[in-house]
Amino acid sequence: MIAAAFVSDEGKLLGWCANSVILPENLCFIAETCRVILSANRAEQRAAHTGVVAFGERTLVFRESASGLFLAYLDSPTNDAVLEWLFSQVNPRLVAGGVNLDEI
Amino acid sequence: MLHQALILSSNREYAQTMRQGLLKLGHEHTRVDVEVDALRAMQLAPQQYELILLDTVLDTTNGLQLLQLLKNQSPASKFVIVSDASDETSRAIAYQSGADFFLERPLTPEAIALAIEAIKGFFKPIRPGEPPQNEDENPLVNLADIVQMRCLSGDSVLLLVRSKQQSGDIFIFRGEVFHAQYPGKGGEEAFRDMIGWDEGRVRIRSIKLTHVPPRTIEVPYRQLLDRIEKSAAPGPDITQTGGELFIVSAEPASDTAHLSVVHEAPPLDKAKAAPAVFPSPNVSPQGETPLPQVNSHWKINLTGELLEGSQVADPERCAFITSFIYRKMADVAVALEVDYFNHMTLLGPHLQQVLVADNMGVRHAVFDAAWTNEEQRIQYVKWCCEQSF
Repeated sequence: MIAAAFVSDEGKLLGWCANSVILPENLCFIAETCRVILSANRAEQRAAHTGVVAFGERTLVFRESASGLFLAYLDSPTNDAVLEWLFSQVNPRLVAGGVNLDEI
Repeated sequence: MLHQALILSSNREYAQTMRQGLLKLGHEHTRVDVEVDALRAMQLAPQQYELILLDTVLDTTNGLQLLQLLKNQSPASKFVIVSDASDETSRAIAYQSGADFFLERPLTPEAIALAIEAIKGFFKPIRPGEPPQNEDENPLVNLADIVQMRCLSGDSVLLLVRSKQQSGDIFIFRGEVFHAQYPGKGGEEAFRDMIGWDEGRVRIRSIKLTHVPPRTIEVPYRQLLDRIEKSAAPGPDITQTGGELFIVSAEPASDTAHLSVVHEAPPLDKAKAAPAVFPSPNVSPQGETPLPQVNSHWKINLTGELLEGSQVADPERCAFITSFIYRKMADVAVALEVDYFNHMTLLGPHLQQVLVADNMGVRHAVFDAAWTNEEQRIQYVKWCCEQSF
C-alpha cells in the first residue's frame, strides 16, 4: 500500500498514511475528486459507492459511506478477492474509529 | 516567482528532475505538473500555467505543432522548447514556432542547474529592456463582487485568482459557477475557501472560456454566494491532518511495504488470491473476445464526442458523464504523478460500470449488478483492448 486516507463528508482529512511522495493535501484533493465522480453518477441514476481505478500496475480504490470517503492507493493490481480482503482488514479499524463504510 | 508550470515530456526521468528544479523557483504552493501524453496535454487548460516546458517530440506527436496550438490558447504563458538536438536549425524552428526559449535537454546535474537558472530569468521582477513588473498590475478586488458581476453578465470566463499565499481557478460558464479548484481542493468547498482568501481581497486575471468546463458546482451562483455569506467563509481545512485512523510515517520511506495499513499477507483463499487478470492495453491480446452482456455501452473521443454506442438512451448525457469522469481522473493522475488510468470500475447496488481508456478515447459500459461478475468486467476490458487494436 502506498497511501490511504479517510476524508469526512465535510471534506476534512480525518486520517491518513502515505509515503513521502504523496502529500496529505493531494489525498484530500483525490478524495474530493472521487466524491465528485460518485456524485455525478448518482445524478445520472447510476449510483455507485465503490471505485477501482487501475493506473498501470497501481490501483486507486475508494469507497464512499454516509460519514465520508475512504481511499487506498495500492502498489499492485487488484481483483474482487483482494478488494474483499482489503475491506475486511480496513473495516474493523474504521469501525473502531467510529466509521462504518457499509452505511451508505 | 513561479506559481504554476507544466512539463510535457516523454522522458519521465528528465521530467521529474526538472520538476524538482522548477519547484525551487516558487514557493510552498507552487505547482509543477508533468504530462507525458500529448493528447492528454491538449485537454489541459494552458492558461493556468505561467511556464510550459515542451519536448520537440512527444512520442508520436510533433511538439512544435503542439506548441503553436497551446500558444494560441495561452499567449501569456512562457514556452520553453526542450530538444535533444542543439543545432541552429532546431533553434530557429523552435523560435519560429513561438518558443520563448530554446533549451538543449539538460542531462547532468550541472546542466540542469544552468537550465533552471536560465528559466529563472523569466520570473525575475525586472527583465532587460522591459519596465519592472508591477505587483499591482492586477489590483486587489473583491472576489465575490467579481463573481457576481460576471455571473450577472452571463459571461464564460476562467478567473485566475491569486491571494498572498495561494492561487486557484474559478470557471464561470454562461453566468453560472461551474467549477473551482486550487491545489488540494476542488468544487464548492474550493470556491468557498477561495472567497474567504485574504478576507475576499485578491488579485484576479480573467480569461475568456472557449470550452465547456467540467461541472462540479450545481448550485446557482446566487445561492452559492448567499450560503458563503451566511457561513462567513471558513478557511481551508487541508492542514487538519491530525487524524487518529492511521499512523503517519515519521520519516520518508522509499519502501512502501512499511506503510501498509494491514500487516497480514494477501487473501487466505488461494483460489481467490489469484493476481488480477485485467489485460493491459499495451499487450496485444490473442484471439477475439466477444462483448459481454451489457445494459449499454459507448465510446467517446478525447474531446468528449460520442463516437459509437449501443442501447444508449441519452447519448449527450452519456458522452458528458464519460468525459467528465475522464477529466476528473486526469486530475487525479496528475496528483498521483502517474500515467492516465487504464480502466476504472464503479460498483453500485444496482449497476456496475467499467471505463477503459486509451490514447484515442474512452469506452464506457454499464452492467446490471444482479448478473455481472468480475469475469464479465474483465471480458469487457479485454474486448475494449482488442477493439483499440
